[in-house]
Amino acid sequence: MSEDSTLVQERTEQETKESAEQGRTWQPIILGILCNWCSYAGADLAGSSRLQYPETVRIIRVPCSGRVDPAFVLKAFRKGFDGVMVLGCHPGDCHYAKGNYYARRRIALLQDLLKALGLPEERFHFEWVSASEGNRFAELVQEFTEQIRRLGPFKGVVAVENKSS
Amino acid sequence: MTEIESRIREEAKKVLENGLVDLVIGWAAGSVPFRTTPVFIDNAQDVDKLVWNPVCANNLAVYLPKMAKNRKVAIVAKPCDIRSIVALIQENQVKRENLYIIGLGCAGVVDPSKLESAAIRLSDIKALEWEGEGIRIVTVDGEQVLRSTEVHREMCLACTKREPALYDVKFGEAVLPSQIKPRELPELPEERQKYWSEQFSKCIRCYACRQICPNCYCEVCFADRVEPKWTAKKAVPEENWMFHATRAMHLAGRCIQCGECERVCPVGIRIAELMREMAEAVKNKYDYEAGDPKEEAPLLGTFRENDIDPAQHSE
Ligand code: SF4
Ligand code: SF4
Ligand code: SF4
Ligand code: FES
Repeated sequence: MSEDSTLVQERTEQETKESAEQGRTWQPIILGILCNWCSYAGADLAGSSRLQYPETVRIIRVPCSGRVDPAFVLKAFRKGFDGVMVLGCHPGDCHYAKGNYYARRRIALLQDLLKALGLPEERFHFEWVSASEGNRFAELVQEFTEQIRRLGPFKGVVAVENKSS
Repeated sequence: MTEIESRIREEAKKVLENGLVDLVIGWAAGSVPFRTTPVFIDNAQDVDKLVWNPVCANNLAVYLPKMAKNRKVAIVAKPCDIRSIVALIQENQVKRENLYIIGLGCAGVVDPSKLESAAIRLSDIKALEWEGEGIRIVTVDGEQVLRSTEVHREMCLACTKREPALYDVKFGEAVLPSQIKPRELPELPEERQKYWSEQFSKCIRCYACRQICPNCYCEVCFADRVEPKWTAKKAVPEENWMFHATRAMHLAGRCIQCGECERVCPVGIRIAELMREMAEAVKNKYDYEAGDPKEEAPLLGTFRENDIDPAQHSE
């Protein structure tokens, strides 16, 4: 297996098989890109308040939603994540005043790009979550995980017939 | 020689002789009559090399960031080429005061690869001329007029902006198309994904699309980066997808819709179709058109407080 292969996807397939064998619900693997000042702190609050939510999200902490290069999201899908969520501070609340306003345009166009390419838009989720919204964070993860479960494992960025391996 | 061609030559001669510019960039006849080639003229004696005909496809703005960096350059430019120039000025890649723009009204250009499918022996072609909306092809045994839909470059079939938006001098009149080619991506997401998978699978990663694009001017392209590695260089469908998806994102709000990327692709990938889709989205969401002089700043380098909110469940 080369370093370029879709590690996540292979793992997901493996896990799907295992959980099916053991009669468990399949757990998607979701990438969460979270702003340090709001959503990451919100996730932390959810944890320290001992709120229950599915362990489906692998979190990358970024200094601001303005740091999120849309290519992060594209690469996550290319690597086979079942879903990607990007969370930032509410408009007006960005630690750097304007980062999330720039992010807003990039994300909006990223959504159009995913649509133009025919990727299931439901696998990408963008939301504003503040540091005090621990509850909301837990709910979001819960809902998004359910949504991805309904869609099933992500089959990859190219159609099955065209896969390289 | 057409009248417009002679006026282009006179103008080039004038600006070289009076020292207004050091260099004129335009098109010259190619090695065959259905091709032209970029030409760089720094001596007024050579202006007769300049041509203007339906195979002047190259968007010459691609040369400006390097060539007009420290000197004054005149450029012969179609309306789409001028949109590139406007975008390059807005993105600080070239200075307006370094340019002398010889703008042309346009009637669409030919994609030479389409001539073959139009049942014409390429070796028989002697000349191509505009004829209303169509193209007159003069061959060894006569002439015929082909419809624009048969031979125009894909983007030209969708282009209504055929008057130069910025120029120092302008020649020729635009001929507007009587119909616009509709966008033709499949509707259903699964079909779209399949469509692009097939398209991108053909890509050999020659990067001609990137090299020809006036707005792909990054000194180090993400596709060439090793650390971080955004995409492997090998031409496998998944990596090709990553290259094309990221490139389309980089050109969102910046692609001026000249269609050069698609014209030069050796394997015929419909790149401009993706670019057109993104340009539509940009127009719908932000009422923004790349390369329009009315835009004050690059789309993604600015924002408005009341921009649409992409959050899915904002409260
Ligand atoms: S895109 Fe428009 S302006 Fe450019 S060559 Fe085609 S018709 Fe002319
Ligand atoms: S992406 Fe293609 S159509 Fe757009 S500016 Fe570049 S070459 Fe022209
Ligand atoms: S020009 Fe065509 S083959 Fe070459 S990199 Fe671009 S899309 Fe791929
Ligand atoms: S600091 Fe959180 S979005 Fe900018």
